[in-house]
Amino acid sequence: MQTTGQTTRLRRAGRGRDAFWLYLALALALLALETFGPGVPRQIRGYANDAVAPVLSVLAEPIRLAQSGMERVAGVSDIYLENQTLRDENGKLRQWREAAQRLIQENEQLRQILKVPQREISPVATAHVIGVGGGAFERSVLINAGSSDSVAANLPVVDELGLVGRTIEVGYWTTRILLITDLNSRVPVRLERTGDVAIAVGLNEPFMHLRFLAANSGVQIGDRIITSGHGGLFPPDVPVGQITEINDEVLLVRPLSALDALDFVRVMDYRPLPPEVTQPTSDGQPVGQPQ
Amino acid sequence: MPASQNKPGTLGFAAYMPVGVSFLLAMIMLLPLGSSVAGYAMPHLVLISCFYWLSNRPMLMPYGACFLLGLFLDLWVGVPLGVNIVTLLLTRLFVLNQLKHYRGRNRGVHWMVFTVMAFALFALSWLIMSIIAGSVLSLNTVFFQWLVTSFLYAPVAFILGRLRRLML
Repeated sequence: MQTTGQTTRLRRAGRGRDAFWLYLALALALLALETFGPGVPRQIRGYANDAVAPVLSVLAEPIRLAQSGMERVAGVSDIYLENQTLRDENGKLRQWREAAQRLIQENEQLRQILKVPQREISPVATAHVIGVGGGAFERSVLINAGSSDSVAANLPVVDELGLVGRTIEVGYWTTRILLITDLNSRVPVRLERTGDVAIAVGLNEPFMHLRFLAANSGVQIGDRIITSGHGGLFPPDVPVGQITEINDEVLLVRPLSALDALDFVRVMDYRPLPPEVTQPTSDGQPVGQPQ
Repeated sequence: MPASQNKPGTLGFAAYMPVGVSFLLAMIMLLPLGSSVAGYAMPHLVLISCFYWLSNRPMLMPYGACFLLGLFLDLWVGVPLGVNIVTLLLTRLFVLNQLKHYRGRNRGVHWMVFTVMAFALFALSWLIMSIIAGSVLSLNTVFFQWLVTSFLYAPVAFILGRLRRLML
């Protein structure tokens, strides 16, 4: 009887070991595909995100309610002070609005005179952040807009303060956004004050590094960084960050967008022309196209 | 613990509870908690859940379930496929081999074993991710997530324990 029990246990243990090696081999094959091959198609990841989106929307609701409740409770104590600050700000903003309206009008007239094309970029979708991804290794968020809302891959995403990132995995109802602070993020930028170009590199940290900036750029702490438009992935002049630290050759940039409290974001309809399509020649054939 | 308690067939629908709870915790790991550090400040709840169930009801968390949990977690979190699969498979292998040393001991011992195991697994996933990225990734975020995960093992395990007593 004891021998039979031992045999059964041994057989089970053997089966368990076999299963372990089988699943481990599968996992290693997937890892090898990700490292050396094309990896899992982004479409599959997009659909996997679609599957979890309804549950996330339901689970996020009580958290959102609790957060707004806590904000309200915290806000009651300094409501008088806040009211006064808002009044002051409102007065200043009125002055700015008048100045901005004058400038818009003037800008429009100059554009018409010089025949400069419009640079306004309309949003494809405004969406809610329903999930945070990446764990300790990547920085991404999940939004509740997908291909059903005309969202496509590689579109820039902004919030009311600046650049957030770009779309990478597009499902039917959801899209994953690679944040500008992710290790794989590279944003071509320029210093707003001097116009010097550089690359803002994500580090998986709350700040970014500024690289390839000319040595004589005269960069200062507090300088704003905006997109340069090079590379065609991001439109020019979108605020990205602010220089917060200059250490020897390391320039730290703090993102302007509220990456620490993303709620609603806008996916911009910025689809630059592919590089092979260029200005048509005199005979009507585009340069670079086979004739 | 009677052997029959460990067999999925004798428990009916409740036998799927450990895997179901782990899937739910995987979804909770994705919730935006209003912080940019949420990604790595969020404890690895699935790791805690797997370790807990494997230490208490190993038969209800088979290798296949660990594989599926890891697969969906990789897809949902957005990391390369295989990282969490390897982590969870090794968790099961570790617990099945070491359970005889800490079974029946107090919760503090379980907590300590989990902390040591989690450290090794986080270090391994950092190594895998560094190889895939082709550069040495920052250790800060991984270390922070390990700290949060280890610290929160006790309260999460306590809740899972209540659930186990209620349903299994």
